[in-house]
Amino acid sequence: MATTRQLADQPEVGALAPTSLGRMRLGTTALVLPASLFLLITFVYPVGLLLLRSVSFPTWGIENYATIFQETIYLRVLANTVVISGAVTLITLLLGYPYAYLMATGSPLTQRAMAFVVLVPFWTSILVRTYAWLVLLQRRGLVNRTLEWSGLITEPLDLVHNRIGVYIGMTQVLLPFMVFPLFAVMSRIDRSHLQAASNLGAPPTQVFIRVFLPLSLPGVIAGVLLVFILSLGYYITPALLGGPRDIMIAQLIQEQIGEFGEWGIGAALATVLLIGTVLLAALLNRFIKLDRIWGGQT
Amino acid sequence: MDSMNERELNFVKNVISRRFLLRGAGAATGLALVSGQRRFGLAQDTPTASFEGRQMTFASWGGAYQDAQKKAYCDPFAAATGVTILQDGPVDDAKTRAMGESGASTWDVVDVTDSFLYNASQDGIFEPIDYSVVDRAALIPEYTHDFGVGTIVWSNNIGYNTETYDAENHPMNWADVFDLEKFPGRRTFPGNTPDVNLEVALMADGVPMDELYPLDIDRAFAKFDTIKDEVIWWETNSQSQQLFIDGEVNLGLILNGRAYDAAKQGAPIAVEWNGNIQSVDYFVVPKGAANVDVAMAFIQFASQPEQQAIMANEIAYAPTNPEAIPLIDPEIVPWLSTAPENREKGILINVDYWQENLQTVGQRWTQGLMS
Amino acid sequence: MNPLGVAVVPPEERASPFARFDLPRLLLVVVCVAIGIFLILPIFIVIPISFSSAKFLQFPPPGWSLQWYQAFFSSPAWMNALKTSATIAVPTTILATLLGTAAALAMIRSKFPGATLINAVIMAPLIVPLIIAACGIFAVFRIWGLIGTIGGLILAHTALAIPFVVVTVSASVRTVDQRLEQAARGLGASPLVAFRRITLPLILPGVLSGALFAFVTSLDEVIVSLFISTAQVRPLAVQMWSDVRGAIDPTIAAVSTLLFGFSLGVLLLVSLMRRPSR
Repeated sequence: MATTRQLADQPEVGALAPTSLGRMRLGTTALVLPASLFLLITFVYPVGLLLLRSVSFPTWGIENYATIFQETIYLRVLANTVVISGAVTLITLLLGYPYAYLMATGSPLTQRAMAFVVLVPFWTSILVRTYAWLVLLQRRGLVNRTLEWSGLITEPLDLVHNRIGVYIGMTQVLLPFMVFPLFAVMSRIDRSHLQAASNLGAPPTQVFIRVFLPLSLPGVIAGVLLVFILSLGYYITPALLGGPRDIMIAQLIQEQIGEFGEWGIGAALATVLLIGTVLLAALLNRFIKLDRIWGGQT
Repeated sequence: MDSMNERELNFVKNVISRRFLLRGAGAATGLALVSGQRRFGLAQDTPTASFEGRQMTFASWGGAYQDAQKKAYCDPFAAATGVTILQDGPVDDAKTRAMGESGASTWDVVDVTDSFLYNASQDGIFEPIDYSVVDRAALIPEYTHDFGVGTIVWSNNIGYNTETYDAENHPMNWADVFDLEKFPGRRTFPGNTPDVNLEVALMADGVPMDELYPLDIDRAFAKFDTIKDEVIWWETNSQSQQLFIDGEVNLGLILNGRAYDAAKQGAPIAVEWNGNIQSVDYFVVPKGAANVDVAMAFIQFASQPEQQAIMANEIAYAPTNPEAIPLIDPEIVPWLSTAPENREKGILINVDYWQENLQTVGQRWTQGLMS
Repeated sequence: MNPLGVAVVPPEERASPFARFDLPRLLLVVVCVAIGIFLILPIFIVIPISFSSAKFLQFPPPGWSLQWYQAFFSSPAWMNALKTSATIAVPTTILATLLGTAAALAMIRSKFPGATLINAVIMAPLIVPLIIAACGIFAVFRIWGLIGTIGGLILAHTALAIPFVVVTVSASVRTVDQRLEQAARGLGASPLVAFRRITLPLILPGVLSGALFAFVTSLDEVIVSLFISTAQVRPLAVQMWSDVRGAIDPTIAAVSTLLFGFSLGVLLLVSLMRRPSR
């Protein structure tokens, strides 16, 4: 890998005439046009039109924004969205960090196996996963049955149709997005630093806290931002596993536009969501290249 | 060609048997005879053959109810006319409203509740019912409307798990359902609309059944606040069944037909008729539907006694065509909300009240759910 | 592939500072196994349920039967949904793979003005929350008359799938030594021949996994499809959505098991494809 990149970075050997090379470059550049045009028409334009409606529907003005920032119902949903996203981010970090740590420090086989385990839910239809949780978390579901059988509880716990259900479902869906960037950063940490600290007599916990943890921070920040961004726009999991008190902004947008035809309010909510997402994504992009994450294997 | 002839033959047979039954009804009511005659000519004129190859989309509440409708109305209609019927659902009021408002509905016939029909009928989102095709006089007059044709009478009942409670010790009235000490644990109510919910809350708070309207909204909301933490709201009727079947809840509000369907399949569920609230479901045609002509013929077809009897036998919802009653399995009759002893224990929902108030109260209801 | 067994593999014996964390490391392994179970096991639950002989969801199943598979394969609604999904996913895959591969080649191989902007346009579907895309596409498709059409669903799914193809293909284009292609051209091959003979075979694993990514994106997409499909044209994911929300019988478990099996197959295929590129 390193060798190929070095080779590619070297200046071209003079086998080709400069003009022919230039023409080829131009031809290659043109290849980006079909996809760009396609997305401009089928994606960028629609999203732009939607955002425009936040100030043009039903009449021109900022009425819609005034409404969503004044009425308690919208503020509550905005607050829900931030709280749920924050909590899910924290949970995925607590679970994802040790997971990525073992993955980054384990043998190649461990690494491969652990990556596979993370990728299974990543590739499985979100509806299948959510249905599975519905089945598991019910009062007579496997989780409650097992806990009752083991004597830990006497009354079944309410694990679904509420906030707990949303946290559990979203954590499973988003954990891969925490693990990938953490692993990417951790696996690049130079072992010699750790060795050096260890040789200087630092106990293992100190090596971890003083050396490893700070070095892994870029991964933590990237993972936190990524999971938070993705949580903000979540729809399916809260809609199926939550209750009416756990409604997030995406559900509200769906309801306003898809059911009530309130394009203005829906678009204003969408604009708020998009601005938040884009700002955080710009921040994220400084820590880790976005395309690296979706490439799956870092 | 042969199959088409056979279909036509079936249709003719159907018309004849209807005509026979209608005469009986006419003798009983007098009124029906007159318009019944008016219909005879029309039924024969109905250009059934021209529906061959046509499509129609039928939208309803999903699950067991829509399965029963498919069996009782859609499949026989398709067989008789050659129309291909597509099923969509579960519907909800907001979606139906959006369809009608779009002016280019992809749904042709939609099943809606009476409160919604009355509330939305002033908004120009439905096609007027073509009563030259639909035989209005064959149906109980209160169950017909300029923009909708009543199809079933159903009721909202107290439902309970028969493994947890028995015939003696179960929630006997709405006060019991709202009593967290006597009946602890999760209970279920429909989350989508305030109608029915507010009525039962007031009954639970001691308001007599016949003094409910106009509803004391604040009092009803306050009553709901006392149990809200223990409520799982259902969004679709199938979900209400699922919650009982899965043991997620042991008591709550469920429609009589859905409880019947679940019990029929072996689920431990029973209903209490005390304080039941009866409603009527209507078939409407959203404004701008692509196949209004087919839709009207369908609604007429589904109003026939035979079809309504199949429906009742499937899911225990009562017919709007009185002629269907003798055709219903006697074992089902006690489950019907129009059975005299059941009717006595309940009231009919006040559609006029909800015509005025559904929208404003609905907004408050939605906000209340989220907080 | 036993995903649980492998996590318990003991750390390698080596002179690494990690080797000293023995007890903590054992704890770490236990925690990670638990996390692995949390990630994977829930999905497997759908398999026994799909073979249940009960009429409703019941766990553990009282007996075994194939009735829910039968229900699935004999239901016109499900079969129509399956057919619709296939009709959408195949053209989406082809279109997205062509457009995405071309774009990836351009973006990696050459520098051009406005590259940042074009990159932003192409990556937009990854950043913009799906619900926003869904509402926007819904608005525009209503004007264009594309609601409830196969063509509309293909266009929307392709838009969502392109960035995944671009990302996957870019990764493999980066690893290809451009001088190979240049050398071929120097020997007189036309650009197209040089590409087909030299570069394409090298990036093929990336292109194929990009195509799989596109296919799965189309198959699993729910939110945009919910907005732009109708009863007449309803993909599998939308049919599943309405069933998860309210069906009382476990047909959905049978569908889920089939889809899960499919996903596992795809994942294994992608893992295999990646190996040669390393």
